[in-house]
Amino acid sequence: MSHHLRRLAFYLTALWAAVTLNFVIPRMLPGNPVDILMAKLQQRGGSVDPAARTAYETLLGTGGRESFAEEYLAYLGNLLRGDLGVSVSAFPAEVSEVIAGSLPWTVVLVGLATLLSFLLGVGLGAVAGWRRGTWLDSLVPATTMLSAVPYFWLALILVAALSSGLGWFPLNGGYDVVLDPGWSAEFIGSALYHGTLPALTIVLSSVGGWLLGMRNMMVSVMSEDYVLTARAKGLTDSRVMIRYAARNAVLPSVAGFAISLGFVVSGSIVTEQVFSYPGIGSKLLQAVQNNDYALMQGIFLVITVAVLGANLLVDVLYGLIDARTRDRSTVS
Amino acid sequence: MTWTAKLVSGLCLAAAIVLFGLLGPLLTGDPATIRDVGLTPPGGEHLLGTTLTGQDVLAQLAHATRGSLWIGLLVGVLATVLSGLFGIVGAYAGGVADEVFSLFSNVVLVIPGLPLVIVVAGFVPAERRGTWTIALVLAFTGWAAAARVLRAQTLSLRNRDYVAAARVSGEKTWRVICVEILPNLLPVVASQFVFAVVLAILSEAGLSFLGLGAADSSTLGTMLYYAQNGFALQREAWWWFVPPGLVIALFGGALALVNFGIDEIVNPRLRDRGRRERDVVAVRAQVAPAEPDAVLTVRNLDVVYRTARPVHAVKNVSLTLRRGEVLGLAGESGCGKTTLAYAVNRLHRPPAEVTSGSVALEDVDVLALGPEELRRFRWVRLSMVFQGAMNSLNPVTPIRAQLQDVLRTHRPDLSASGRELRCAEVLRLVGVDPARLGAYPHELSGGMRQRVMIAMALLLDPQVMIMDEPTTALDVLVQREILNEIKRLRDELGFAVVFITHDLPLLLELADRIAVMRDGEVVEHATAEELYLRPRHPYTRELLASFPSLTGERGALLR
Repeated sequence: MSHHLRRLAFYLTALWAAVTLNFVIPRMLPGNPVDILMAKLQQRGGSVDPAARTAYETLLGTGGRESFAEEYLAYLGNLLRGDLGVSVSAFPAEVSEVIAGSLPWTVVLVGLATLLSFLLGVGLGAVAGWRRGTWLDSLVPATTMLSAVPYFWLALILVAALSSGLGWFPLNGGYDVVLDPGWSAEFIGSALYHGTLPALTIVLSSVGGWLLGMRNMMVSVMSEDYVLTARAKGLTDSRVMIRYAARNAVLPSVAGFAISLGFVVSGSIVTEQVFSYPGIGSKLLQAVQNNDYALMQGIFLVITVAVLGANLLVDVLYGLIDARTRDRSTVS
Repeated sequence: MTWTAKLVSGLCLAAAIVLFGLLGPLLTGDPATIRDVGLTPPGGEHLLGTTLTGQDVLAQLAHATRGSLWIGLLVGVLATVLSGLFGIVGAYAGGVADEVFSLFSNVVLVIPGLPLVIVVAGFVPAERRGTWTIALVLAFTGWAAAARVLRAQTLSLRNRDYVAAARVSGEKTWRVICVEILPNLLPVVASQFVFAVVLAILSEAGLSFLGLGAADSSTLGTMLYYAQNGFALQREAWWWFVPPGLVIALFGGALALVNFGIDEIVNPRLRDRGRRERDVVAVRAQVAPAEPDAVLTVRNLDVVYRTARPVHAVKNVSLTLRRGEVLGLAGESGCGKTTLAYAVNRLHRPPAEVTSGSVALEDVDVLALGPEELRRFRWVRLSMVFQGAMNSLNPVTPIRAQLQDVLRTHRPDLSASGRELRCAEVLRLVGVDPARLGAYPHELSGGMRQRVMIAMALLLDPQVMIMDEPTTALDVLVQREILNEIKRLRDELGFAVVFITHDLPLLLELADRIAVMRDGEVVEHATAEELYLRPRHPYTRELLASFPSLTGERGALLR
């Protein structure tokens, strides 16, 4: 099987697994989510017509009145139409609307913070590996210590020190609420200002992993023959470091992006909660607290698909930076 | 910090926290006792102060540490078992089982853990959310990365000779895995276990902090949950909020230190090493070249590896390379010939050090060059062709970039088209189609790669080229072609060559003069003819005698 086919099979399987997991979880676990949802819906003045009940049952299980296969097919059909059900916590909004409103916040915050953390960690790691025996060595234990700190704890300490204490940053939120969301300079500025501290939390907690990995790879790569050749060629130090050593040392970091992304996404959910950030992580917790099962499922699915998408992107990128994978017929 | 210091301090810190979790709850009072001394700062009766309702923070911390460690241990064991099952067994069985197991691990790996745990915790009613439920879910989301690592390790182990031997001799599969494979995987498994424990403690803390943890447990996460909901930080009761997070951070940090230590034991390259201050010490004033047509003169060169037991790799070596001449350097592996070659270009790495002697290339005193002068000297006056052509080319850039690099650095005023022309020209010189400039190293055969390396060495028309076993890794026919190429180029372009090899018969044919090295010393230095007809040193005779002739008769080279 060719490399590309294998990757494609992997992504399809992962997508199917995520969708199916989403279908199976509410059916396997104890509790009766449909009844709870209907009660909630009633409280909020929603319709209790049989159609609403059927919709939820498709999503969460009918309690055995329909066969598993029938339920599964109906569920897949709804998914294909983009119908994720109605949210009770944001009634009468559809789940898809709630997600559409909060997803951009998370994508921008987590995306930018992860990119920043990756570049910073890989850059510092490359220099730390290249200049071993200097003060840069102390970066490794320092940043590793930071990665062992729980995200939310660091976030709260930062808020206490920089927001409450020094008043440099806002306490919470994604933007100044007196502004109207839109593409105005004022609003974007406010969003950036509000996003700085959450982003700083994510960067501080995740930079250590990138740095350590890159530094260790750099040390290994530096004893490769092609680095020796580059030095013998009389190339400048910076050229040998960047074009020869770092260029090769970065490959495992890029390949390992998948593993790290999962951690970052997990951490950022809790971070969003601490900052009451209007992203998808806060919405997920809000959904859990309100037993808004439809929203919970929708968000889990979207997060998984987003992580898969990011991995696919990195896969394509990897093919560009390492020619060997393009021609390889098999890959482990 | 040395690796032992890292290992010991990490282990001590981790042990202290574990002891605190084990013994602390016995020594401190009941963590739930409510007193009317809410939010007392640390000191006196309450060493770490009290919570909002007057509970002793130290007592809570001890119990919470125990709870968190227990969850960490549970999840660590479960995740390790799962990763072993999917990583080791799959890789060992191979075939379809491996494909399926590996696909499964990869799928689980990309499904984000905490969101899944949150969703599951959301569906399970709070009163039915026990420690085991949480542990199982955390283990399920936390094993996959370890399984990938174990699979890779197992794949490399199962092909080792002793495992193959056990399989061939009919050992049962489970026995081979338990006796031959598991013990060798132990360091990896241990380090993955440690990661799983830390990850579980962190995840559980996040979950409990969100109010989604196990209902029946008290952990550092639940402690933080109560501290946050009691507005500990807003009331400036830092002693309530800071210690639980600090315990998690210290425990994670301690285990990271242990891992650093283990990493450095397994991979000695990672060990701390002082920055290289100098590669040359005690250089004598340069002696004027004795012979007028000498291009490279090495006088009394000493190179020492400054290790715990210093190794004197090159001892008082003197060599002269004349214009356009091929000087052969022969000797068995480990005799110091490569160290000598590197020292001439000052490419030797610490702990190797030139302790005395001189190297002169015409008017340039190589050992006295400053770093920038040295960089400008390299490749312009003296270029090299290395032992492993396979690994001497950067695998991720096309060869064009690697050839042009040299021109860009040393001939900055050359135009882009001028560079392209020159690169094509040198490729043609070595018999490689210039159309291959866009090729990546892995797309070329071994012989082609070595030709590209020779082309690269020709780029700047250097006077001297050092070739370190340039043909060793190639098959005999390709070897012959390359040698002919080198001879032809030398005749056409007139550069001088230092040719290093263990293959004395090859040198007899190629070299004008030959130096035989043994244990860092040049034992004989003569013209090829002299050396062949009248070898003086017993070691040279021994070397000549050890090569069979085409008829297979040993010692046929000896007269």
